[in-house]
Amino acid sequence: MRYSYIKPAPKTALSKDMQLLFTFFSVTLFMLFLTYGFLLFRDYRFEQNRAELIQEEQDFRVSIEEMKSKIAKIEEQNILSERVFTKNIVLKDSIHNLFDLVPARITLSKAEIMQNGLVLYGITPNKDIYNFMLQAPLRSIFHRTYSSFYPLKNGWFSFVSTNYIDEESNDEY
Amino acid sequence: MIGKILETLYTKVFINIIVGESKSIVFVEVVSKGEVIKSESESFKTNTLSSQMYSYLKTAIAKSPYHYVSILDNSTKQGAIPTCRDIKSYIDAKGLNTICVDKNWTFYTSQEDIKDLKYEYQNIGLDLIFSPFSILARFFKDKIELNLSIFALIEEKNISLSVFNQGKLLYAEYLHIKTQNQDEILMMDSILDDDDEDDMELDLDDIDLDDMDADDDITSLDDFADIEDLSSDIDIEEFSEAQDIVRTKEEKEVDIEDINDDYNKFIMIQDSINRFYHDEKYNSEFLESIYIADSIGLSTDLKKYLEEEMFLNVVVRKIALEEELSSIAKAEIL
Repeated sequence: MRYSYIKPAPKTALSKDMQLLFTFFSVTLFMLFLTYGFLLFRDYRFEQNRAELIQEEQDFRVSIEEMKSKIAKIEEQNILSERVFTKNIVLKDSIHNLFDLVPARITLSKAEIMQNGLVLYGITPNKDIYNFMLQAPLRSIFHRTYSSFYPLKNGWFSFVSTNYIDEESNDEY
Repeated sequence: MIGKILETLYTKVFINIIVGESKSIVFVEVVSKGEVIKSESESFKTNTLSSQMYSYLKTAIAKSPYHYVSILDNSTKQGAIPTCRDIKSYIDAKGLNTICVDKNWTFYTSQEDIKDLKYEYQNIGLDLIFSPFSILARFFKDKIELNLSIFALIEEKNISLSVFNQGKLLYAEYLHIKTQNQDEILMMDSILDDDDEDDMELDLDDIDLDDMDADDDITSLDDFADIEDLSSDIDIEEFSEAQDIVRTKEEKEVDIEDINDDYNKFIMIQDSINRFYHDEKYNSEFLESIYIADSIGLSTDLKKYLEEEMFLNVVVRKIALEEELSSIAKAEIL
């Protein structure tokens, strides 16, 4: 029940000086907390960036590894291709040399070039021409040379010359 | 939130000021958790804010930041009316502060006087201003609820008079006791200085109210003159011998003033009641009893006048006004 004509003035335990002091400290504390909060946020963002960078680094590492393996594969392929190319050149030279070896009087009908050997099919007017003009150079190239002759109706001989290079000797090359 | 916590930690100081005609009383109560832990009272011979009173109040205020300064309103323009709604039919509410009690009756005072009061105590800071009618209603709460009676709070120079019937206010008036005319005082002094001053003393001491005619319409001091006429020399002698009292001049003055004051009060109460009876605004009923809250230490004369002249049942109850003021202030704040 209100009996008083006026309302009491609001009371406070804090004097004006104290209020000023509290305000000052409150502002200071507020600023400190604000700075602390800002630093926490920055720290959080930094950690986030760091984690992202670490992840990125790992991704790069993985991709580098992949690229390395790809490079290695390509290098291998390159080496292989070079080898194949070299082999092909060697083969081409060998074939070229082979055909150079074959004298004009002997006719080759078929040639099978294998890894360690060469099988020649052809006709020769006689065995001597073959033996002296073809077998002799072949023997100088191959370790083992086997020749088979089949007489033809016209007096010529069909021959099969099988030539091998031994594995150990091949390695030496 | 912090303010509420601090408030519970601190004690509350209730500073109550009663300004009288010749003195002011400051009553200080220190309250902790709803209990009074200390109270002190100081009287100052001034009716304004003197430097001594100011420094005392400042000391009291310094006891706690939660201090409440209350004062009893002594504006002559205050009063109470038996309604909360139809105020205009009783008073011109312009420039008045009104407070409705129990949706039943209203007490009011002048805004200007409140402003003046606040201005006077601006360095202290008034928190609560109470009407003597609210004090009266609280003080006689048990009696107000019962039957039709007059209730009067008698201060040094003011009477707050109200008529309640079963908790409902019928009539109220705030009476300012007129000071004795300077001429009258001078006249009294000259009489007292005369050789036959004993006669004067005895004339006044020997007022026999039993012989007064109660049916007379006593409306002024003329009746008092009649009372004086009742005394005789024989009576004076008898009284003088019987009492065998040796009085000083000061005592005589005090006695004369007391009698005059009491009679004045009686006349004012009687006039006010007559106004209640005759004014059509008020729903007048026959009054049989009067309850007086006596804050000044009345003599038995007033009681005698009221009983013998108005045939009222008089109940006088002592009131420590400053304590009642503190009590109402605590009720308002706690």
